[in-house]
Amino acid sequence: MVEAAAAFVAWLGASVVVLSDGRRGLALGVALGAAGIAVIALDVAGPIAAGSIALGGLVAAAGRLGSGREGWHIMPAGSTPRLVLCIAAGLLALWVAAGVATGPGAPLRFTAMVVIGLSGARVLGGEDAPVLFTATGLLALSVALAAGTGLNAPEPWPFLAAAILAGSIAWISPRPVRAA
Amino acid sequence: MQPEAVELIVLAAAALAFAVAFSPRAASRRELLGKGSVGIVGAAAIAAVPTFDLALFVVLALGVVHSVVEGKRPLALRLRGPVVAVTLLALGAVFARVQGPDVLERLAAVGIVAGLAAAVGVLPYLHPIDPEEQLTSSPVVWLAFVGPVLAAVIVERAQSFLPVDAAGAFGALLIGLGLVNVVWGGAAAWLTESEAAAWRYSFVADWGLVLCGLGLIVADGQRAAILVLFSIVLCRLPLCLVSLEAPREKAVTRRPVNLVVAAALAGSAPFAGFAARLLLLRAATQLFWPLAVVLAAGMLLWLPGSLRLGRSLGLPKGRQAVGVALVLAVNVAVGLYPLPLLLAAHL
Repeated sequence: MVEAAAAFVAWLGASVVVLSDGRRGLALGVALGAAGIAVIALDVAGPIAAGSIALGGLVAAAGRLGSGREGWHIMPAGSTPRLVLCIAAGLLALWVAAGVATGPGAPLRFTAMVVIGLSGARVLGGEDAPVLFTATGLLALSVALAAGTGLNAPEPWPFLAAAILAGSIAWISPRPVRAA
Repeated sequence: MQPEAVELIVLAAAALAFAVAFSPRAASRRELLGKGSVGIVGAAAIAAVPTFDLALFVVLALGVVHSVVEGKRPLALRLRGPVVAVTLLALGAVFARVQGPDVLERLAAVGIVAGLAAAVGVLPYLHPIDPEEQLTSSPVVWLAFVGPVLAAVIVERAQSFLPVDAAGAFGALLIGLGLVNVVWGGAAAWLTESEAAAWRYSFVADWGLVLCGLGLIVADGQRAAILVLFSIVLCRLPLCLVSLEAPREKAVTRRPVNLVVAAALAGSAPFAGFAARLLLLRAATQLFWPLAVVLAAGMLLWLPGSLRLGRSLGLPKGRQAVGVALVLAVNVAVGLYPLPLLLAAHL
């Protein structure tokens, strides 16, 4: 039950990242996503992995609060396609994770698939550096979950690497593109 | 580290040394050395990390670093390729590892092949280019510098965790995608207006051969793939560099050196590309002979594009003439006697 709730929180966090354009919304999304992933990681790979993900998510959220568009900007005008994407991705991942795939660990499968998919989609649809880097950081955290899929006792290294990557990416300030 | 990856890292380092030694401008040399060294370290990290998943993190980190390097394309365009690649590869890994019906295994193969294509920047995930952009921030970095190591690592590691039934689908997808890239890249290198785009498409066409070679499960296919990768890194990339930095001439040049360069780019005898093509045709004949016929027809598409690209070098002078001569000599040597290269890769 706890894992199912964590999977829902992770989906919610990824959806908030998809639906937000402001720094607060993006920070909230990555924090929620990381919290959900950390709870799943606790069950899959132990406390070191879970702690790494939680810390990486916190650092990423803190970094995002420092740069980007002011405010929340959750579901701004014209974001209906993004909302549809979040719901459709959630339903599709739920069907594949619980209906098509077999064996234990449905919340892990759901979380890995939906957060990876939504983060990748956000980068495809985004233009602003803060949005792109937030989604990339969340993608890193979810790729660590992919490492835990199907393995009996995954090592904590992918989770540590994901945390370092997600935490670092959020603090990058890219140089503006030179005029041609 | 797998031997092919080590060999490709050494080749990339040699290409970097070439670029630094034969670049006409001192400022360009320093920049090439600094950014190229980061690329070499990244490629080595991709090969050195022990698992597929850790390699994905390195690709993501390298993609982020490459996207923030000063360049003319928007950040979003530069970041999309690596991020889409990691997304697809990670989804492929998830599908490969979960229990379920066969369709999940096939989806895993699709995800990994699509992710590889997105990472390298071949069809259907061509990275947009800007003809005025420097080589260090352009998609050529993925096509010709980091991409070969990445492809060797991803294919080897994916084969280790893909179920046996999915391995057949994986090979078939690689061959199918390879053929598409051969035809599209060869035709586009010939017909496109922009010279920079023509060079990019010529890399794409070469990658088509690489994908076909990697998909053919026989040893000759793997040997062909490593030889084509050699010719990408130590023939096409250095010549592309010379061409893009060559002074633009008003008159079209058709000197003997342009014809020799065109022959090297087209994979004619006695250059390395010829040996690669022979091995590829032999591998295809062993597996399914009509595939060899299709490949042989596709290889003809290299000729017009290569003649065009050969002319784009103009008449190399001074330092660049020495560089072109060196590239051609190395490619003739490997074309005539490829065994040391293949033995170093344990093939």
